[in-house]
Order: sequence, then C-alpha cells, then structure tokens
Amino acid sequence: MTGQIAIIGAGPSGCFLAQALLKAQPDLRVDLIDRLPVPYGLVRYGVAADHQGTKAVTRQFARLFERQGARFFGNVGVGTAVTLDDLRGAYDAVVLAAGLSADRALGIPGGDLPGVHGAGKLTRALYEHPEAEALPELGPNPLIVGNGNVAIDLLRLLAKSPEEFDGSDLGAGPSDWLAGSGIEEITITGRSPAAAAKFDTVMIKELGKLTGVTIRVIGAGDSDDPEAQKKLAALTALEGGDGPRRITFRFGLTPLAVEGEGQAAAVRFDSAEGEEVLACTSVLTAIGFDTPGDLPRDALLQDEQDGGLAAGLYATGWFRRGPRGTIPDNRADAKALADRILGELTPDPAKPGAAILQGLDAITDYDGWCRIDSAETANPPPGRCRAKITTREAMLTLARQEDMQ
Amino acid sequence: MNIQVLYGTETGNAEMLAEDIAAELEAEHEVTATNLSDFDPADFDRGTLYLLVCSTYGDGELPASAQPFAEKMEAEQPDLTGVHFGIFGMGDSEYEETFNGGPATLAELMIARGATQLGERIAHDASGADMAEDLAFPWAEEIVGMASDALGQAA
Repeated sequence: MTGQIAIIGAGPSGCFLAQALLKAQPDLRVDLIDRLPVPYGLVRYGVAADHQGTKAVTRQFARLFERQGARFFGNVGVGTAVTLDDLRGAYDAVVLAAGLSADRALGIPGGDLPGVHGAGKLTRALYEHPEAEALPELGPNPLIVGNGNVAIDLLRLLAKSPEEFDGSDLGAGPSDWLAGSGIEEITITGRSPAAAAKFDTVMIKELGKLTGVTIRVIGAGDSDDPEAQKKLAALTALEGGDGPRRITFRFGLTPLAVEGEGQAAAVRFDSAEGEEVLACTSVLTAIGFDTPGDLPRDALLQDEQDGGLAAGLYATGWFRRGPRGTIPDNRADAKALADRILGELTPDPAKPGAAILQGLDAITDYDGWCRIDSAETANPPPGRCRAKITTREAMLTLARQEDMQ
Repeated sequence: MNIQVLYGTETGNAEMLAEDIAAELEAEHEVTATNLSDFDPADFDRGTLYLLVCSTYGDGELPASAQPFAEKMEAEQPDLTGVHFGIFGMGDSEYEETFNGGPATLAELMIARGATQLGERIAHDASGADMAEDLAFPWAEEIVGMASDALGQAA
C-alpha cells in the first residue's frame, strides 16, 4: 500500500477522483465515505429521471469498486458518526467531495412564504431521496425563478405528459403526482437577458420534443456573439406547438419580492421597463446551491488553492467550485487534483485508515449497494427501468441481507 | 496486426470502452489504447489499424479530449492517404438533434485528410437497451477482418 485516502462523498466528483487516483497508483487504498447508504450522489438523486443515458456513467464508477479496489462506506455522516479531524488523523489524505445539497435562498421579502420551493428540495422528492419531504401542491400556474440547467430540468419534468417518462426511473408516487398536477401554465424567468442565460443550448433543444405544450418566448432579444446566437436560435425554434400546457420564457427579470397573503401568489420583478408583477400559484427557485452546514465550508475553503485546503486536506467538485459545471467539468477537476495529491502524499503506515469506522452502526458497503441495486432493477413497473428503494431503513435492511436464496 | 484504439472522451465512458476493446483484441494483436488528447496526427502510421471511439458533448460537438487533436489536424494538415480507420460513436438519443455529432465530425476530419474509413460508423445510444461493448466487440472484429485485407494490400 502506498497511502490511504478518504474521499468524503461518493457522488460523481468523488468517484472521478478515486478513478484518477487508482489509475495513476493502483496500490493506493481509496475509501469513499457517504452519508447515504448508497453511492453516486447526484447521478442517482440529481440527474433527471428521464436522462438515463447520463446515468450510464455509473458503469465506470462500478468498476472502481469491482476492479480498481476502491471501497464504499455508506451511511456514515461526517460530523456526526465520525469527525473530519478523526478522518484526517486516520488517513494520509482526506478529500471533501460532499457537493452542495441545500437550495440557495431567494433572499427577498416573501422568499419564505408557503408555496416557495427550492429546486433541490423538489427534485429530491421527485427522485425519492430518503430524506425528501413530501411533494407539494404547486397549483395550475407555477413560476420558476432561474434559468440554468436545473431550472430547465424542472420545467421539462413538469411539462412532460405521463407517457414521456417511459424508460425513466421516475417512481410511482412522483409519476402520479406529475400526472395529477393540474398544471396549466409554467412561467420560467431569468435575471439575465436570453443571450446570457445559463442553460445549455442542448437542454433547450430537448424541450422541442415535448408533445403536450405550447411555448412562448418573450423578449429574447439578439446578440452579436455566435454562441449566444445559437442559444437564441434554439429558443426561438421552440415557439409554437398546440399542446394544452403553456410554457412562457421571460428574461431580464430580477425578483424583488414574493407577494401573497400566507401563500405565494405572485412575484414582483424589476426589469428594464420598470417593475412587473407576475401572478402564479407557486414559486420554484433554481438559483444555485449552498452547503447544508454539516461541514464548515466557508472556513475550510478560506485558503483554498487548486483543491488544497490544509496539509493532507483537499476539496473537489461542487464543494470546491461552487454549484457550477457539469459532470465532466468536475472530472477534469478531479484529474488535476489527483496529480496534486499524489505529488504531496507522504504515507504513514501507522495510520489506522478505515479501522476507525469499525465500531459504527449500520455501515453499508459496495456489496450492500449491489443488493439494493438488484432489488431496484429486478422487477421495475411497466415503462420504468428501476423502482428506487425510498427509505433509509429499507435500504439498510436490504444491504445487510447476505446472499440468502 | 498493430492496432491503436484512439478515444475522444468527456465523461470517461468512451475511455472505458476503448480500454475494453483493447483488452478484447490483445490476445491476437498488438493493441494500445490512447487518448486523442495525447496523440499527434503526425504519428499516424499506414501499417497500423486505428479504431476510433468517440462520444459527443455539448451541442453536438467533439468531446473535450478530441478537441486538441482536431486543432492539431487543422494546424498540421497531415496527409493521411493510406491510413485506415474504423469509428465507433457513443451518444444519447435523448438529444436527438445532436446525436453522434462528435464521431461524425471526427470521421470527417480523418476523411478530409485522405484517410480511408473501414465499415460503417456505429452509434451506440446510452438511452437504448444495448451495452456499448455488445455492439463494439463485434464491430471491432469486423473492422479488423476488413483491415487484414486492406493493410495486406497496402504492404
């Protein structure tokens, strides 16, 4: 063994880092520690249910555990079950790849009214995260604040008809919730002009496949920049359709306040033409993510440089970069960080490594995850590729079942 | 036969498949798998069969690791007459307009410099039911079969 490395977070950034480390140095001991009993983080709970192709990246991650020798320690809360300092004492290097799971708040008057929902909270419920809250009532006219890819994901999910989820892993509860949502009109608003909108063009083009919608794009404007022109052309190409569900894109709207008596009923915006109030029945915010606070991210990142935080302590992925960038962007980051870690690693054979996790209750391992995965994919309902196990208890029960016939 | 599997990847899936193809062929051939980002077009060799594995990224573009290669092809303008290649694309039909745009661009780059494509360009669909290797292994065998004729004649 040439060193022991703990990666906190078994999502895509943590997995890509482990992959890069083990490719460069196959004798390393690399342990991925996650607070959930199951690995893959946002690939499982953030990538949209109808984007199964994107989730194919987990086939690479499975190799990490099956062939490259990485180990998975699930259901271990860092900060609760074990402290960061304990891990730093036990491993030669510790990497924070814990992502950012809390919705960034609107920070405007009325931003905490009932009927205002964060995109992360909503997608966790849609994708049956074990800590998800119940799916809320959105009413016929939800309004989305934000126009990044997360906002477009939400828009697409809310706009799809039930048959458009064929082949997905959308659960029975969320499927019924979407089918019965009664949504008539979705307004999606962005602070920037359309030319500077944060969504990727390919996400906009995908909306062109929706069958049950009529789309309007108001005030897209124009641009001299070729990249922005592609974006604008894709948006304009969306206009039209004859479906019953109406979608309206609006740009250049800065939210000032959520209005309503005990329930969000409208959003007041600032725009180039002055203030404008858009009525709605719920507000969905997709304006970025923050740390949930279980790790003191701001303090830890204070002296951050290229992923290095302190001696033997590093950060990668969204935890380091903030909530920007796609899965492959974070892969490039992980590769660079792996080189840096290997250049600095000074293995101490006296360090106990994963032995410090031994006394903990209900840890899951990769074999446990495989049992959960098999249970989820063995008999999916018609039109679905998986039926997720939705509670931590059920996951733990399955994970602990040895291969009984 | 000397075979070099060249891959253009963004999320690593094409890299994984390229390594699998190399492993599948190495019992009977001299095989290496190389990232396109680490390959110089000046090094193309007429006695080697090139198996290209390439994904698509963004709005139908070449994946990140193929972009430096495309830039070098543009800068060096190598004469690839007599160079033989097969190409396997990886894509996701959820994005139907841009599906397999990357491999199509890569094949065009090769053909524009005079290289000869063997066989059809295969497109694996990550949203489909097939595993990439289930399409790629038979494809690789087929291209190797075609190449033994083509490279034999060239020699």
